[in-house]
Amino acid sequence: MRPDPAFGLLELYDDALPHVYGYLLARVRDVPLAEDLTAETFLAAVSALRKQPAPELSVGWLIGVARHKLADHWRRAEREQRGLRLVDSDQQDTVDPWDEEVDVMVAHEVLCQLGPHHQAALTLRYLDGLGVPQVAEHLGRTVHATEALLVRARNAFRRTYRGEEGAP
Amino acid sequence: MTDPLDALRAEVEPVRPDAAFAERLRERLRRAVLSGAPSTMDSTGTERTMAETVTQQTVEEPEDLAWGPTLQPHIHVADARRALDWYVDVLGAKRRGEAYVMPDGSIGHAELRFGDAVLMLAEGTYPGIPVAPPTGELHSTSLNLQVSDVDATIERAESAGATIERRPDDQPYGRVATIVDPFGHRWMFNQPRGAAPRARHGEVAFTTIFVPDDEAAKAFYGAVLGWDFASGSAERGWVLTGKEDSFGMSGGAERPEVQLCYRVNDMAAAVERVRANGGQVGEIESKPYGQLVECSDDQGTRFQLYQPPAS
Repeated sequence: MRPDPAFGLLELYDDALPHVYGYLLARVRDVPLAEDLTAETFLAAVSALRKQPAPELSVGWLIGVARHKLADHWRRAEREQRGLRLVDSDQQDTVDPWDEEVDVMVAHEVLCQLGPHHQAALTLRYLDGLGVPQVAEHLGRTVHATEALLVRARNAFRRTYRGEEGAP
Repeated sequence: MTDPLDALRAEVEPVRPDAAFAERLRERLRRAVLSGAPSTMDSTGTERTMAETVTQQTVEEPEDLAWGPTLQPHIHVADARRALDWYVDVLGAKRRGEAYVMPDGSIGHAELRFGDAVLMLAEGTYPGIPVAPPTGELHSTSLNLQVSDVDATIERAESAGATIERRPDDQPYGRVATIVDPFGHRWMFNQPRGAAPRARHGEVAFTTIFVPDDEAAKAFYGAVLGWDFASGSAERGWVLTGKEDSFGMSGGAERPEVQLCYRVNDMAAAVERVRANGGQVGEIESKPYGQLVECSDDQGTRFQLYQPPAS
């Protein structure tokens, strides 16, 4: 008999919990939602640890699981909201040079006002610092589609940040 | 050109979540670890599979899976299924959650509840874990279990194959007996003498809900919390089934309130302190289970003091 690899998660729980929760809270800025996603993360980790080959259990790995849960959350939210509005079909996909200094505090607030798919793309790309291919992988899109999404997300972000008309 | 949004880069800063949430999640996690059998070889574990697993694991929580007591003995036995049945049938244990079955069919972890205690149990041995079912005549532990009728327990144990080491006899602290169960574990049974309150000085020994209409209250709490009351010693007095020694209800009260009864070590001195600090003290009553007095504090909150009989 071999010990269940998921037992290690119980031992790591106290140390890992503030990291996972802190990661999620900083990105969703909503306590009940951060708690839900934290719970999803740890429970998903149990089954992931039992797969072969078993991943190496660490706080960093748990943050990765949390990132997937976060992307899932935005995908769900996007599906729910899709029927309520036209998805930025009228907006251009062109890169608009933008070279000003961003106030980080304001930027985080602006981010929370964007649509779920824009939040997802910008959070993974900029807060987490992932490369475009990894963002694409988390969002379940092609790299090309992700690049286009990032352009639209940046445009939406900038309009809201500058308080321009048409902003959500 | 630098990207202005690069300024958003956020390292993970640990944040301690709400303590109650942390405990609830720990318990869910613990149950997920203990109850779910390991999945079979599947290297294509994707988000979808993980999400589905989460859904399965967050089904309704069994009501008896509150977080266990501070100390929980963990024993190894050669035949866990038989041992679980034996402890349930002979010692009145309750199964606590599902047993965790290992890929080879053995039981990796199971839990039993004895009153407010929890016994953990595993089958056989594990590589690298130096614990094994007992084999020899010498034991290093005895599981000391409080029972309500030690003679009946010994009778059941004997007919179910236990070795009786010491038949019931009366000691200053209760009526006791000792057995070795069919799985090699040594148990001491103790039937406490008379009133033996668990509360220590200053702790809540008894909680009473005072209501004008006790029948209505029984119906209310029965419907809301599933409570069941048995009649107590006083008129229109009731005790909560399963918590007879610590929780009750009293009908015919002028105003509804919940009163706490605190255990004290020295009734005369405690009553003196109530008065000296501006509280009110009623008449000290002698009951079969000890001395009781109704008091109120200097702001009018009513409470009781209780001292068990000297043993």
